[in-house]
Amino acid sequence: MKADQERSKKRKNMFYYLAQEEAASSFSSIALANQLVNGIGIVGILLLTGLGLAITFGVMRIINLAHGEFIMLGAYVTFVLQSNFNLDLLLTIPFSFLITGAIGALVELTIIRRLYGRPLETLLATWGLSIVLQGVIKLIFTAQLKYVKAPPYISGNLTLLTDEQGSPAIAISYYRLFIVAIALALLALTSYLLNNTDLGRQVRSVTQNRDMSKCLGVNTSLVDMITFAYGCGLAGVAGTVISSLKSVSPPMGQDYLVDAWMTVVTGGVDKLVGVLAGAFLIGQSNAGIAYLLNDPVARVIVLGAVIVLIRYFPEGLFTVQKRS
Amino acid sequence: MNNKNKSVFTEIGRRKFLKYGSLAVGAGVLASCTGGGSSTGDGDLGENPIKVGVMYSTTGTIAIVEKSLQDATFLALEQINTGTGPWEGNGEGIEGRKIQKVVVNPDSNWDLYNQMSKRLIDEDQVTCVLGCYTSASRKSVLPVFEEKDSILYYPVYYEGNECSSNVFYTGAAPNQQITDSIPYCFKNFGPKGFFVGSDYIYPKESNRIAKAELVKAGGKVVGDEYAALGTTEFITIINKIKQAKPDFVLSNLVGDSIPAFYRQYRDAGITSDKVPIMAYPTTEEEILAMGTEYSEGHFTSFNYFQTVETPENKAFVEQFQAKFGKNRVTNGVMEAAYLQTFFMAQAMRDAIKAGKEINTESIREFTRGQTFQAPQGLVKMDPENYHTYLYSRIGRWGADGQAEIVFATPAAVKPIAWSQTLYPGRVCSRPTPDDRSNPIKETGEDLQVVYLDKV
Repeated sequence: MKADQERSKKRKNMFYYLAQEEAASSFSSIALANQLVNGIGIVGILLLTGLGLAITFGVMRIINLAHGEFIMLGAYVTFVLQSNFNLDLLLTIPFSFLITGAIGALVELTIIRRLYGRPLETLLATWGLSIVLQGVIKLIFTAQLKYVKAPPYISGNLTLLTDEQGSPAIAISYYRLFIVAIALALLALTSYLLNNTDLGRQVRSVTQNRDMSKCLGVNTSLVDMITFAYGCGLAGVAGTVISSLKSVSPPMGQDYLVDAWMTVVTGGVDKLVGVLAGAFLIGQSNAGIAYLLNDPVARVIVLGAVIVLIRYFPEGLFTVQKRS
Repeated sequence: MNNKNKSVFTEIGRRKFLKYGSLAVGAGVLASCTGGGSSTGDGDLGENPIKVGVMYSTTGTIAIVEKSLQDATFLALEQINTGTGPWEGNGEGIEGRKIQKVVVNPDSNWDLYNQMSKRLIDEDQVTCVLGCYTSASRKSVLPVFEEKDSILYYPVYYEGNECSSNVFYTGAAPNQQITDSIPYCFKNFGPKGFFVGSDYIYPKESNRIAKAELVKAGGKVVGDEYAALGTTEFITIINKIKQAKPDFVLSNLVGDSIPAFYRQYRDAGITSDKVPIMAYPTTEEEILAMGTEYSEGHFTSFNYFQTVETPENKAFVEQFQAKFGKNRVTNGVMEAAYLQTFFMAQAMRDAIKAGKEINTESIREFTRGQTFQAPQGLVKMDPENYHTYLYSRIGRWGADGQAEIVFATPAAVKPIAWSQTLYPGRVCSRPTPDDRSNPIKETGEDLQVVYLDKV
């Protein structure tokens, strides 16, 4: 009898818990909306980190495994300028673009240039380079985490919807929106440079037919250097902008390398808009699945999906029909 | 003409490249070979130095933490060799014998910890090893130390559930960190806890114990989420926290994830006065990296904070900053790495005084029951379970990046290797050093908190 009572009490408890679950899930459409709105923040970071790679890999076909380290270098430039000259994060962006670009040019001149047309060697060389860059930075700045201040005027949240208690239910931080804005602006700028300027035309002609371009008087080695430096500079800007979301440390770029590659490969490298599409697809599916399940599982599923996608679209989603 | 010149130039360039390149590669190989067992130049080590292995990663993802542990260890070893700091009055070295440190770098790679520890024991013939940070690396080397019967001093708070005769644990056991912090949260913040952590063994086990403690206290677990090690994207977890509306968040995130989480938490509009974060791995070092405006008002439970007011701590902080720079901070893991080096030195000193050889047997025998006036206060190596009597403290982070201590035990707490909530009555006990019977004993009793008597 007593056991029965216990059991019914337990069952009641269970119902109570179920009811609680029920109550929680009624919010979930709003929470899911919040998740997707915030997913835009992930898309912004993917776009920003993938853009530099879209240049070095997409345009130049260089498998650059040191891409993450250029992001890291950009973050360190910001750290140095901020701690020594108390410079605002926004003002450090041009410096980190120029400095990482210059280092990129140097790398192109000394390493990449000797390895054109040999993707495997390039891969190994840039991998080695990434270890060297991490080591050098660690020697100079030690392995400790460094702190970069976010610009104080880009703080707070854009609230789209508040709940009954007046606290924000759907909100995205201004800094995330700022990242998206920077990423889109750089995408537009890059697209303009590539399609509407002489330099851009030269870059495209060199990628399409190096020998012919040379014959027509294009200084191909200069074009290569500028293009690679530009790609690295973009990575540097990404590093600067991201640095205030997390902390600055030598291995920080590694986190972004795989994501940037997935973005570029998914979107396809023939058109810059592919990077945007890749970033959107990966960022939002990651956010959505992570909400329903959890982060590590979402990552596995998205990575798996990218592999399947590459199986059927080896050139990515946005490709240009080419005559072979 | 021009072309020819160029080709000649590149030819020379290539040859030079090959020459210097192979030189560089050769030097690298040489360095990595000797680097394994390299003992850094400590000047004259005199006759018959005692070899001690120091195994912390100074490269790779976990180097951020382990480098500071290495720094603290080096400071202690230097003080022992020069007879300064806490070693004053003992003369230089251990009864005249200096310590020769054999430093290896396992590159944040768990398999390398295993290989490096074999090398330290077999080839370098060290008497014992100071090292490891993550539970994954400890699990990786544990079989080596047990098989070869050598000693590891391990300075890190951990999830418990271990009872090895070959490891001296100088970081917190569950009952010196989790057992006090959860009732504190329950009482001061409210019953609903949301648990987050990095996705590997320590955070999962630690959270499992903490959740059980919360349920025992009458609270409710409203969420339990893990992020891949090194993740810096916390949109999803923070969104789930917002939805679950907890009274407090318990964080077992480690490394680079910590600053990212705290920053995005505040950016998402959750303030520390509404939903404070109680954390274990968040120390002075991470606070410095995230910026104090993000940490103010959050809590950490640890044995030691830089603000602990003891003369020993004042000296420790001063000496550490004098050696490594004014901008450096000290934290609980570093303090444990520091104090365990003195446990080791005292054990060696006592062994020599007793006329014994310095080997695994004597180090084990004499480390048992060793006491030390550490920066956190008087601590003692428990002679039966090889864990350390430590203080349990809770600190509230202030605007200056330092903790205001809001809770502290009156003395160091006797360690219990198993969470008493999950495994009531289970203890680890070895009555004698050479006892090889199963040390895991089920007492079936409700174990009381035991404090270390002041000497």
